[in-house]
Amino acid sequence: MPSTSMSAPQDSRAEPKKQRRAMSDTWFSVLLILPAMIIIAFFALYPLFYAINVSFRLADLTHGGIQGFVGLENYRTVLFDKFFWQSVGTTLFFTVFAVAIEVILGIFVAFLINGATVAKGLIRSLLILPLATAPAVTGLFWRYLYDTQFGLYNYFLKLAGLPQPNWLGDIDVALWAVIIFDVWLWMPFVALIVLAGLQALPKEPFEAAELDGAPYFRVLRKLTFPMLKPVLFLVIVLRTIDALRLYDAVAVLTRGGPGSTTETMTYYLYRQGLVFFRMDYASTMALLFLYAVVVAALFALRPLLNMFSARAGAR
Amino acid sequence: MLERRKAPVEMLRYGIILIVLLWTVFPIAWLILTSFKPANDIMVTPPRFLFKPTLDNYIHAIARSNFALFIGNTLYVSLLSTFIVIILASLAAYSFARYNVGGGNLLFFILTTKMMPAIAVVLPFFLIFRDIGATPIGEALGIGLDKRGALVISYTIFNLPFAIWLMVSFFQDISRELEESARLNGYNRLQVLWKVVLPLAAPGIAVTAIFCLIFAWNEFLFAYILTRDAARTITVGVESFFTLRGILWGPVAAAATISVVPMLIFVLVLQRYMVRGLTFGAVRG
Repeated sequence: MPSTSMSAPQDSRAEPKKQRRAMSDTWFSVLLILPAMIIIAFFALYPLFYAINVSFRLADLTHGGIQGFVGLENYRTVLFDKFFWQSVGTTLFFTVFAVAIEVILGIFVAFLINGATVAKGLIRSLLILPLATAPAVTGLFWRYLYDTQFGLYNYFLKLAGLPQPNWLGDIDVALWAVIIFDVWLWMPFVALIVLAGLQALPKEPFEAAELDGAPYFRVLRKLTFPMLKPVLFLVIVLRTIDALRLYDAVAVLTRGGPGSTTETMTYYLYRQGLVFFRMDYASTMALLFLYAVVVAALFALRPLLNMFSARAGAR
Repeated sequence: MLERRKAPVEMLRYGIILIVLLWTVFPIAWLILTSFKPANDIMVTPPRFLFKPTLDNYIHAIARSNFALFIGNTLYVSLLSTFIVIILASLAAYSFARYNVGGGNLLFFILTTKMMPAIAVVLPFFLIFRDIGATPIGEALGIGLDKRGALVISYTIFNLPFAIWLMVSFFQDISRELEESARLNGYNRLQVLWKVVLPLAAPGIAVTAIFCLIFAWNEFLFAYILTRDAARTITVGVESFFTLRGILWGPVAAAATISVVPMLIFVLVLQRYMVRGLTFGAVRG
């Protein structure tokens, strides 16, 4: 908003001088975004319309491809599909525990690093390394780390005298193996953001609290956490949306197994669409899923992003 | 911060930090170590920490599969898509940052396209590229199934929303007065963009480009579904050492190391901008 109010008077002063082919600001701005928008609109909307269309049809690619309209039949099938709900449950379980552990550990690590006096740069550099790696590649290698015979994790557990689970083969453990991998990959991201939030806090209130002799945990509860709240919300929302879409790690670590204990929604979608070629079910599920994620983004992410950009604008 | 620090507390602090760092770095370190291990030191219990390093796994990885081709494909696809993204995104982001087109709604719509689960998008893409590939235009441009062009387009679309959001935040940081004085000195809008704004935004553009490069380099699902042999990338190619006799962990580690190490270096370069990038420019830590 400030942009128009600031540049408009400039333009009206400049225009009389060179009136030749004064393109309006609106046209200029639209021209700039047009190339990107055409591409996004086509390649984002085409899959969407494709999915909507197919979700109302019979579409078994192994039997005659995309066929006639069946109304809401696919929606009925999906909503009464036991395995669909099981995959929703698995996804929610994964999301809740992975995000919770990442956020709690991330906050803890951020506080530790924030208080550190030496080697802060080195610590940060080492911490962010997992973020550079492709989950599909490191996830694959984690199968070796999780191996019951040759794996490092069970070797260390044995040294410590702890039980050595069959990480990827035990139906009670496999989902936790995926969660642990996700925590390894994303906890540093949470820590990094919280650290940035901590370093951006104003100094004065804390110095005042210290002069008053306020105890540490009271300062945390009354000052630090309330001021960190926006950053924490943002990271929780971003991680949640991402965790709901988990695919790569499952695909390379467990392939949904053992049984279907680690079959998340995206992996079930993959099997329906690209293994069984039931495009009708797959598209219907994709739409339900997309709807949930977009609602989450609209009501949780958007207000947060707006707040941050307003704050940056005020600076 | 003013209080005097107690030594035991500090020791505990660094002790825990050390454990956390060991936990984050160890899988990567073990991956790189394994890639240099002789074959008979890999499948052993207990794991060996000391061994005679060898390049056998790399030689095997490159000789026994199309690994050189995979690397070439990855480079081609990630560099070209990043280049296209940067051009399109910098124009769009400048427009969003200065003229606020769509009052924020359009910008958010762009972000929601990124929220779609990739798995839901990949099948329509598969069909689009199958159809385009059958036409003469698709054949001439190298767009189609198992063609690199299909991945270039996919990654361009994938990274555009991200790049636009991040760049908007960088353009917002550039002072408007400079642009206005350039306008008063007779520059037209395009000249302002080209000669004043873009040079000032260069660091931000470079940061965005590196992020896009990392994302494209590391992408798995599209490469897995849209390619078979000729256009296969490293992230998928690593799996080619899963044989009927079992997984050849040595070559897998070598291939994975080749895929991971360049990105580790890029991430170290990006350090300062990591938070900003991963929050779509919201947190400017």
